[in-house]
Amino acid sequence: MRDLFRAEWLKIAGNRWVASCLIWIFPMMAVGLTIVMGLILALSSDARTGFSQDDTYRWTDNAIGVWSIPNNPIGRLILLGFTAVVFAGEYQWPTWKNVVPRNRRVALILIKFLALGGFVVLAFVLMSILWTLGWGLLTQIAGTSYGPHITGKVLSEFAEDYVLAAGLAFTSTIISAGYAALAGMLTRSILGGVLVGFGLTLAEGFSILALLLIGWFTDFPEIVHAYRFLPFYNLINVSSWLTENKPLAMQPSEEGIFADIIFSDSLAFSVAVLAAWVVGLITLTAVLFRRQDIT
Amino acid sequence: MSETVAIRIENLSKNFGRRKSKRIQAVKNLNLEVHAGQVYGFLGPNGAGKSTTIRMLLDLILPTEGNAYIFGQHVRREHQILRRVGALVEGATFYNFLNGRRNLEVLARTANHYDPARIEMLLGQVGLSHRANQRVKGYSTGMKQRLGLAAALLSDPELLILDEPTNGLDPAGMHEMREFIRDQAALHGKTVFLSSHLLGEIEQVCDRVAIIHLGEIVREGAVEDLLADKTYLRVEATPLDKAADVLREFWTVTVNGQSMTVVAARSDIPHVVRRLVDQQIDIFHVAAERQTLEEYFLSVVQEAVPHA
Repeated sequence: MRDLFRAEWLKIAGNRWVASCLIWIFPMMAVGLTIVMGLILALSSDARTGFSQDDTYRWTDNAIGVWSIPNNPIGRLILLGFTAVVFAGEYQWPTWKNVVPRNRRVALILIKFLALGGFVVLAFVLMSILWTLGWGLLTQIAGTSYGPHITGKVLSEFAEDYVLAAGLAFTSTIISAGYAALAGMLTRSILGGVLVGFGLTLAEGFSILALLLIGWFTDFPEIVHAYRFLPFYNLINVSSWLTENKPLAMQPSEEGIFADIIFSDSLAFSVAVLAAWVVGLITLTAVLFRRQDIT
Repeated sequence: MSETVAIRIENLSKNFGRRKSKRIQAVKNLNLEVHAGQVYGFLGPNGAGKSTTIRMLLDLILPTEGNAYIFGQHVRREHQILRRVGALVEGATFYNFLNGRRNLEVLARTANHYDPARIEMLLGQVGLSHRANQRVKGYSTGMKQRLGLAAALLSDPELLILDEPTNGLDPAGMHEMREFIRDQAALHGKTVFLSSHLLGEIEQVCDRVAIIHLGEIVREGAVEDLLADKTYLRVEATPLDKAADVLREFWTVTVNGQSMTVVAARSDIPHVVRRLVDQQIDIFHVAAERQTLEEYFLSVVQEAVPHA
């Protein structure tokens, strides 16, 4: 399996345009933004004054904040593009016919997810390091503080928060990657993978509206409970548990037929739902690929 | 099932399309056996079902019905058997953004048997050592075919499945490929399953052939046996029309410009000559000629009538 992973890694890293534009762009963005902001601070005293007025810069926030990028629409779209290339590229090039006889199909799909996850983690860890260090440089130029001081307690709390934030971002990325992988496999096209994958991600986020409408028209409000089993709600719920140590309390409406419905699920429930989605999407991709004709 | 049978195909069928009205039966109830050490030719016009059959053998396509075995093992249920197979399927395609050497490394690692020394040896064998660091994007079709051949040999397979390996090769390249295929069987003891349009090449290298048409095998056998009784006589005589009329009473005759072909055996030459001489016809040339595989193939394909 190590050789198979290395093969996948070589393919992705060797596709320099794709790797640069869709994955290394994140650490490069950290460096680019630091340089631009550094130049502005170095050349403009007004900018330095404005920057130093805020003395609440924290390296811990900067390092952890980077992990919110996979959840914003632009970050998500870029990562969907990356996933689509990894999965649908083999159809478009067409190279599956060389690869499939050489190893089991299930192993090929699992390794793709693993390598994809590896690249995403590496890119964002690099970005968070560069962004944190870069911001430190900017605070030096502006002459402002950059806390907190490093102590054992700070480090252990930071490590815990960092791992949780990264884990959440990783889970959300893998779920989106699952959509893009399925879409790429079924459309056999990179563009198809991106568009359908993005469409599915958006549709999932807005599915509560559809459920509310269905509940309204069918006079069956309980159908809204289905939203509790979708990734979007559970990602926010886990985030709420991690940051505020309480569930996300969601009530579709205070009056009318949905008034009695309140989502307030435990951390364990949301983690279980998310795990089921991750395993389910990867399994579905592998099962479909196992039966797919490589023509 | 014996290990001496390299490929065994049993009642293999493949339908494309789910709706009955749009369903295409690409391969119909195919049965085939290739013995280890043979060079086996798989012939057929475009769309006959050759590539579909090869893809089913390599587990790229799921058969609608039937089974394919390699060295006695089911290709889908015992996928590891494909590690003993090297294949070049319908034109070599690679990761264009990687160089030739890196492409081979990726494929070798995918099969869990990366051996840098073997890659260098194969690059040398196919004449690509000097271009190995160049991206495949810049390779000609012929270079890609040669890289494809190197990729097929990565695991030192016992069975080589080559689908149109001479596509894109110049005459010298085709000659090299023919020598290469012969060597693989004669010197390295490999079984070669070869599909090609170039029937002259097939005739020169294959022990046995199967002709597939509209998804069905219409002829199968040793090349020598298939062509053995396919001789005819070429006759040049004057006046040609009169000669043709005389011979038509006994044999099938076709006039082709300045000569005619007479469907008769070599042993009939004295009878042909005697009959022409009796009619005061001047004879300039009489010779027995063997039908080529190409002529045989065309006659078989034209004969084959599609089933309803």
